[in-house]
Amino acid sequence: MFLTDYIKDVTGALKSLATGMKRTLYYFTHHKEIITEQYPDNRATLVMADRFKGEVVMPHDEKNEHRCTGCTACELACPNGTIKVVTKFDITPEGKKKKAIDKLVYHLELCTMCNLCVQACPSDAIKMAQTFEHSVFDRSKLTKILNNPGSKIMEGVE
Amino acid sequence: MWSLAHIANEIHQWLNNTFNPTWTLIIEMVLAGVAVIGLFAALGLVLVLMERRVAAWIQIRLGPNRVGPLGLLQSMADTLKLIVKEGLTPDGADKVMFNIAPFIAMIVAMLLMAPIAFAKDFQLWDLNIGVLYVTAVSSIMVISILMAGWSSNNKYSLMGAMRSGAQIVSYELSAGLSIMTIIVLTGSLQVSDIIQAQSNGWWIFKGHLPVWISFIIFIIAVTAETNRAPFDLAEAESELTAGFHTEYSGMKFALFFLAEYINVFIVCAIGATLFLGGWMPLHFGSNNAFNNAMDYIPSSVWFFGKTFFLIFLIMWFRWTFPRLRIDQLLNLEWKYLLPISMFNLLLATAMAILGWHF
Amino acid sequence: MMNGSTILFYTLAALTLTCGVLSIATRHIFRAAIYLLFSLIGIAGIYFWLSYEFIAAVQIVVYVGGIVVLIIFSIFLTHQAGEKLPKQQLNRGIWAMLAVFCGFALTMVQVLQHPFPSGDGLHPVTVRQIGEKMLSTTDGGYALPFEIISMLLLAAMVGCIVIALRSKPETT
Repeated sequence: MFLTDYIKDVTGALKSLATGMKRTLYYFTHHKEIITEQYPDNRATLVMADRFKGEVVMPHDEKNEHRCTGCTACELACPNGTIKVVTKFDITPEGKKKKAIDKLVYHLELCTMCNLCVQACPSDAIKMAQTFEHSVFDRSKLTKILNNPGSKIMEGVE
Repeated sequence: MWSLAHIANEIHQWLNNTFNPTWTLIIEMVLAGVAVIGLFAALGLVLVLMERRVAAWIQIRLGPNRVGPLGLLQSMADTLKLIVKEGLTPDGADKVMFNIAPFIAMIVAMLLMAPIAFAKDFQLWDLNIGVLYVTAVSSIMVISILMAGWSSNNKYSLMGAMRSGAQIVSYELSAGLSIMTIIVLTGSLQVSDIIQAQSNGWWIFKGHLPVWISFIIFIIAVTAETNRAPFDLAEAESELTAGFHTEYSGMKFALFFLAEYINVFIVCAIGATLFLGGWMPLHFGSNNAFNNAMDYIPSSVWFFGKTFFLIFLIMWFRWTFPRLRIDQLLNLEWKYLLPISMFNLLLATAMAILGWHF
Repeated sequence: MMNGSTILFYTLAALTLTCGVLSIATRHIFRAAIYLLFSLIGIAGIYFWLSYEFIAAVQIVVYVGGIVVLIIFSIFLTHQAGEKLPKQQLNRGIWAMLAVFCGFALTMVQVLQHPFPSGDGLHPVTVRQIGEKMLSTTDGGYALPFEIISMLLLAAMVGCIVIALRSKPETT
């Protein structure tokens, strides 16, 4: 029947509209569920999600030692040339030459936080940090050197 | 008695005693104009803030909370920004039309204030075609939108204006028919008569099914007529950037923006007058204690309370429903709202003749 | 002797006439429509001034809300509506002016010859009276013309629906 279909149409439409309005009224009256982060005010208590990736860093231990062997796997893995590994040759106590990093140059302004370098690293020397306040007044400040000055490779990392 | 009508009478008496009648009339007109402009400014500030707060709470956000205590001065800051912005006129625009259009929108909104009863015996012009006057004058609104859309010399503006024209012209019908339901029941177009007819109960309570249907249709139709979401095709920002006011900036944009909010207020005031009894307090049968307690609340509070309730309802729609497509919009009007409201009008007429309402 | 009411009347009359002249003098077709609109609003204002509010409201609903919007829509849908129209030839203008003058003279003759009875104040007509007159079948009632016009409108609407319903011919 045309008329019953028509009435069913109208009542169905009203019912679905009422469902939507009930949901928004629930939100309107439940202020405790507000998800807004009032960012600059809550910096002390700000909780970041685990999956958030802010920039690439190289952790150093208390003796100023890192785990990077200078194998350039990260440089090869990077899709847009963000990482540049500058190597040098150290003289080991036995008198042999050994390859080590001089500088690990990281261009934050090019990085897309794709995480491929971290996955490519065989010795877990770099990881993703959760910092996000990267604004600076000069673009050159975004080019960073990840290894600390005077740092050397950790014992036992090949 | 401390009421708006009392104050107005005092002023009238004082002016009559001080000046001659002509000057009294002129001064009263100026006062009324100033009062209306003041109301406009206040409403603009309040409604913009209210809209943003309601939107935020519905979307589980906080909303403006930086400017002033609890963000209450946010709309002041917005106004200041709009005042200092440059009012740009595009090169290819029809300059005269472009600059007149926002003022027409504003003037129409001002004219619509005339027959609204803000409190008991407090009304600018109680003319005997009150409700018809509102429907008639509000149809000039579409002209300002068409002018703005055309003279901007911009395809988005033109498309927005055409959509808005089609929308307003079609939804005027069902808005008019749902108003007719109340007029049939009351037997008068005069605003004060309509309110007086509800002294023993608002129409929404004593009108049964036809009034409920016409109330729903009225709310839908006026939402469409004021170009608000889910019917905001005229300024659909995802398709037309801003529709008919794409090219407007600064104060001229602010006038359009303000006119939109004033129109929302006016249609809600009309809705409150027709269906919710205007300034009439809530009365229950013969429960005298309750009725007296309700009478104690000033009539202007009743009026503004009901109006703001309806405004909240329209804002609630806006932040709940997605925008319609133009064919869906016209389908809704011509295939659903118009036949239903015509049938509903017949039902209401039968009810009025047979005296089935209380 | 000029009182407020007279000043108001002359203002409205001036608005109506100026906008009327502008609407035929302008060379932008859209502006012509807008001037026509203001002219019609001026006439509605004169009805308000005469305190025939119902007629004024109907004037606005029908002419401003309906007809002018339709005119503007048809302007929007035509090509090159934004361009200036070419200047009229001189002899056309002369003939048009002559026609206008003849019409004006005819109207003025009628107006001057008609003995207007001196009014005894305003007779406000309520909507109730108009409605009763419109539907009364007694002497002086307008039920028959009202019904005939509704039949005409019904026929027009049925015609529209028939045109709209006509299925499109298969093109492939």
